[in-house]
Amino acid sequence: MQFGRQRELVLDICGVALILLFAAIPFVTGSPLLYSWTNQTVIGLTAALGVYIMLRLGLLSFTVPAFMAIGGYAAAILAVSGTTNLILLMSVACLTPAIFAIPLGMLVLRLKGIYFVFITYILNEILQLVLFETPGLTGGSDGISGVPPASLFGMALWSPRHLVLVTVGIGMAAAVITLAVTHRFRAEFSSIEDNETLAQSLGVAVWKYRTLGLVASAGVSGLAGFALVNQLSTANPSSFSSFSAINYIAYAFIGGRRSLMGAVIGTIFVVVMSNLFSAQGQYAGGLFGLLLIGVVMIAPAGLIGLAQQVLPSRRSIQSKAPTEANTI
Amino acid sequence: MQGIISTGLIGLSLGTQYALISIGFTLIFGILGVINFAHGAFYILGGYFAFTLSHSVGLPFFLAVVLAAVATGAVGYLVEFVFIDRYVSDHIATMLITLGLYLVMTTAIGQVYGPEPADFRFPVSGSLRHGGIYMPYANLIVFGVCGVVTAAVYWLLFKTRYGIALRAMADDRAVAIAQGIVPARMFPMAFAIATGLAGLTGALVTPILELDPNGGEAVVTKAFIIVILGGLGSVGGATVAAFIVSIIEAYSSVYLGSSRGALALFILVLLILLVRPSGLMGRETRRA
Repeated sequence: MQFGRQRELVLDICGVALILLFAAIPFVTGSPLLYSWTNQTVIGLTAALGVYIMLRLGLLSFTVPAFMAIGGYAAAILAVSGTTNLILLMSVACLTPAIFAIPLGMLVLRLKGIYFVFITYILNEILQLVLFETPGLTGGSDGISGVPPASLFGMALWSPRHLVLVTVGIGMAAAVITLAVTHRFRAEFSSIEDNETLAQSLGVAVWKYRTLGLVASAGVSGLAGFALVNQLSTANPSSFSSFSAINYIAYAFIGGRRSLMGAVIGTIFVVVMSNLFSAQGQYAGGLFGLLLIGVVMIAPAGLIGLAQQVLPSRRSIQSKAPTEANTI
Repeated sequence: MQGIISTGLIGLSLGTQYALISIGFTLIFGILGVINFAHGAFYILGGYFAFTLSHSVGLPFFLAVVLAAVATGAVGYLVEFVFIDRYVSDHIATMLITLGLYLVMTTAIGQVYGPEPADFRFPVSGSLRHGGIYMPYANLIVFGVCGVVTAAVYWLLFKTRYGIALRAMADDRAVAIAQGIVPARMFPMAFAIATGLAGLTGALVTPILELDPNGGEAVVTKAFIIVILGGLGSVGGATVAAFIVSIIEAYSSVYLGSSRGALALFILVLLILLVRPSGLMGRETRRA
């Protein structure tokens, strides 16, 4: 379903605002459970934004954990060596994978459709093995432990409350990047998603926007990786497994793959549900599976799509009267 | 020298197993356009069916294997009919559904049989030793059976009317439907055949390797690699790639260590894909 540019922007800005609301949690409660839940949600949704940017180009990408690992490890290596400034760490975590993405994009963006899906899956597997094979740099299978917490203006942000705020800050930065990229290049991205050949014949430099999308997705994923490393104070290969990409894809898809808001709502929903499920211990995996199947079968356009279907919008009521009908 | 030959034989025997799994995986992709993340679960399911039939019911092993393959295929038929059929044109939806199915199936298997690996052993032990070359009988039997079944699948696909119809669906769905081929009849059956092959492989191979509820993930990853290397949807490509992968894997795990071997394999696949973006024998690309 296509809906107006303005409404899309408003919805996405609401999505960013929703992330900001998480910053209130450390001020209203001291519950460690809620803190851990907030960290999990914000890190998950940041990673889901990495998936979302590529989905806007019509590409399903499994690279998110790989870029998360590059960003997370880069920040961890820097932090262990003594540089703990939050802004600097965030920039490194965002820029390192983004720079990696440029040559990588030249190689893999030629592949289309399912081949792209597969090659991004393989890239993850390669990165995992590289992490294991370079113990000098990355600590091998043990990873890098004892990563010091980030600091701001000389103050170490180590308390649980601070950690939540740092995570939310990183999530906000990622969301703003996502919002800027997807709306600044909305027309180009949509034309490539809808019909690549047509877009090309109309003069859209497809490769340029694809690379741009991959670079942005890499930067956003790198931020998610940094948030994860900072929260766990460890960078470990197991945090970035290839299969975890499926979680992030599920977040973006369950919420609704057509909007930034979808990634946010989807992550909140799935994290809440899986925390409820994990109380069921050994059934958790199966229940998560049922949830995936259920959402796809009941709400193929995601929760946002379902809401748009169920709640009749003001515009659709108005449009019963003859108006400027189907403008995009 | 004998070491090199023995390793090569192990590689070939692995290759037949990989071929059966990957042919199923590539058939589902070629015909339905679905990436079946649940393929590994069907492999494990075949193993557990055979385990129950031979250990609890007491059927002879080979009868148990055949029945397990049929039963897995039947489950596959049902799954396609209930969950996948309506969504075949949406790749992301079917990926998430098959992923959900994978989670549900492995959880269910873990509930029924417990999380520990089952004590499932191949009924034939001992090995062939000839002039320093060493090959367990179990691997030889698997090699033979998988070889015969692969040949049978080829016969089905290339020599029967049903196979021609299946290939027509894979080539161009719209034209095939215009020719009067009914998707509702072809899709569940194709899925059943493919999952039946996974079940058969699981039933034969898990008693040699290991039968545990979470063994499916590695199988799916392997099938991924083989199928892209061979070219998605190409049965011939999957067969050739299965042997390339298994032989590289056998030699590299002996001479390089398993982790570096895997790295070498992945990088090789990456390079091949960069030169031939549709795999060794693939033609068309589908949109994700």
